[in-house]
Amino acid sequence: MSLLQATEIAKRYGGLAALADVDLSVGEAEFVAVIGPNGAGKSTLLNVLTGLALPDKGRALLDGWDMTRAATHKRVRGGLGRTFQHGRPFERLSVLENVMTGAAIQSGRSELELRERAMAVLDQMGLAAEAQLPIGSLSYGHRRMVEMCRALACEPRVLLLDEPAAGLNSAEVDQLVDRLTDLRTKHRIAIVLIEHNMGMVMRLAERIIVLNFGCKIAEGTPSEIQSDPAVLSAYLGEGYRHAGV
Amino acid sequence: MTDLIQLLINGLAIGSVYALAAIGFVIVYSATGVVNFAAGQFVMFGTFAGVAMLLNAQLPWPVGYGAALLAMALFGALFFVVLYLPLRASPVVTIIIGTVAIGITMQNAALLAFGSWPFRLPSPVESVNLTIAGATISGHAVAVVIVTALMVALLWLLFFRTSLGIGMRAVAQDIKAARLMGLKVNRLLALSWILAALLAGIAGLMLGPMWFADTSMGDPIALKAFAATIIGGFGSLPGAIVGGLFVGLSEVLGASYVSSAYKDLISFGIMILFLLVRPQGVFGERIQDRG
Repeated sequence: MSLLQATEIAKRYGGLAALADVDLSVGEAEFVAVIGPNGAGKSTLLNVLTGLALPDKGRALLDGWDMTRAATHKRVRGGLGRTFQHGRPFERLSVLENVMTGAAIQSGRSELELRERAMAVLDQMGLAAEAQLPIGSLSYGHRRMVEMCRALACEPRVLLLDEPAAGLNSAEVDQLVDRLTDLRTKHRIAIVLIEHNMGMVMRLAERIIVLNFGCKIAEGTPSEIQSDPAVLSAYLGEGYRHAGV
Repeated sequence: MTDLIQLLINGLAIGSVYALAAIGFVIVYSATGVVNFAAGQFVMFGTFAGVAMLLNAQLPWPVGYGAALLAMALFGALFFVVLYLPLRASPVVTIIIGTVAIGITMQNAALLAFGSWPFRLPSPVESVNLTIAGATISGHAVAVVIVTALMVALLWLLFFRTSLGIGMRAVAQDIKAARLMGLKVNRLLALSWILAALLAGIAGLMLGPMWFADTSMGDPIALKAFAATIIGGFGSLPGAIVGGLFVGLSEVLGASYVSSAYKDLISFGIMILFLLVRPQGVFGERIQDRG
């Protein structure tokens, strides 16, 4: 049984079908990537899964619990975590305070426990030295890591990542790949990754889902996806056949 | 010199009241983006909560103050449920106009319940007078300054040392991201309104013995609190404190050394000057957008 299961999710914005009957299932500690051209509906899918947008149709289950219409904070308390496409840390909070907002997920923790818990997450992700700094003084890559730490402090079972590598340099991307691998193998966290960096997707994902114009056009292992004609034409246009790809 | 000491303490006392009203105003503004035009009526309600508990019900001091503040906290929660929750999806201007409507309703409800005759709210320390360097200083004025300093310290602890306060600051910055941290956003927003009502209640209880308790006292307070936030920097908590004290001092010193007829002209003149020369106020932060 899947940990996260979305069936026939549809979402329209006016006349635009942002998502049309999209299915997604993620098993425990599984690594699934969602790829597709800009505007394919990837972020909308994450919005629907986290409750920031409600679907017009379809159901979303988290470990058997029907969360289709549940409030966002309940989904998070149920084990769903998410980061944003362009990084949205709380600018006027320190690094530690940002992570503490997530650690407060378990009620009944003392202030000291919250701090320790947040520090442990920062330590695990290599940001402990910057705990007391304001967000504004961090590099772009570290800002994005703070957001990841903040989501991890909520102790998610499924982590939804919206283009975490965007804007990172190649060393930072390598570091991110290591950390994500750790999360999955050591902490058994399932990950849904939206990413344009195909090198990263192919290294990490066990299964890839391809969206185009709100529809799922392919699903499979990285090698299956790389040779899928529908995917190639979505990315490269119909002319790819003549280009000898 | 003795006059000056007296005036300074009195200015700080009335400035403290403005500062507390302004802090309540800023807390609501930064959490919800709503400019609360009923903020002055909140303070008036605080004064009349004191009138009801101390004069009408004749409760002893600690019980009466406690009951008045409890009533204010409940009122803040009610305000959130009646006005903010139903309108929260509407444009913020709609909510702002809603606060105007509720403010008018509050003033007329108070008029209906208490009449237009002013009351004199007593102070537990009104018989105490201190003498500093030959100047006689009212115990109430000193108490007001001390209580305000204590409230500011407590607020600082709340916002910077507790997860509740950190959560409130997170919600004030980015509601969606706060939801994704599992924060109970509505509860934290309600808390902002409750906190604002409580601070207004404390301001009202302290203001009662300085002014007469009059149902039309809300508007002048709102204008002074507004001037304080403009001068201090809109949306800034230290700005609200500094601005409030500044307005109080300029009003008292202006009334004494220039003319009491011009005391409002002086504080509002300074506010206009700030709008022209330094619109971001003393603690002006760069303009920031809300997520």
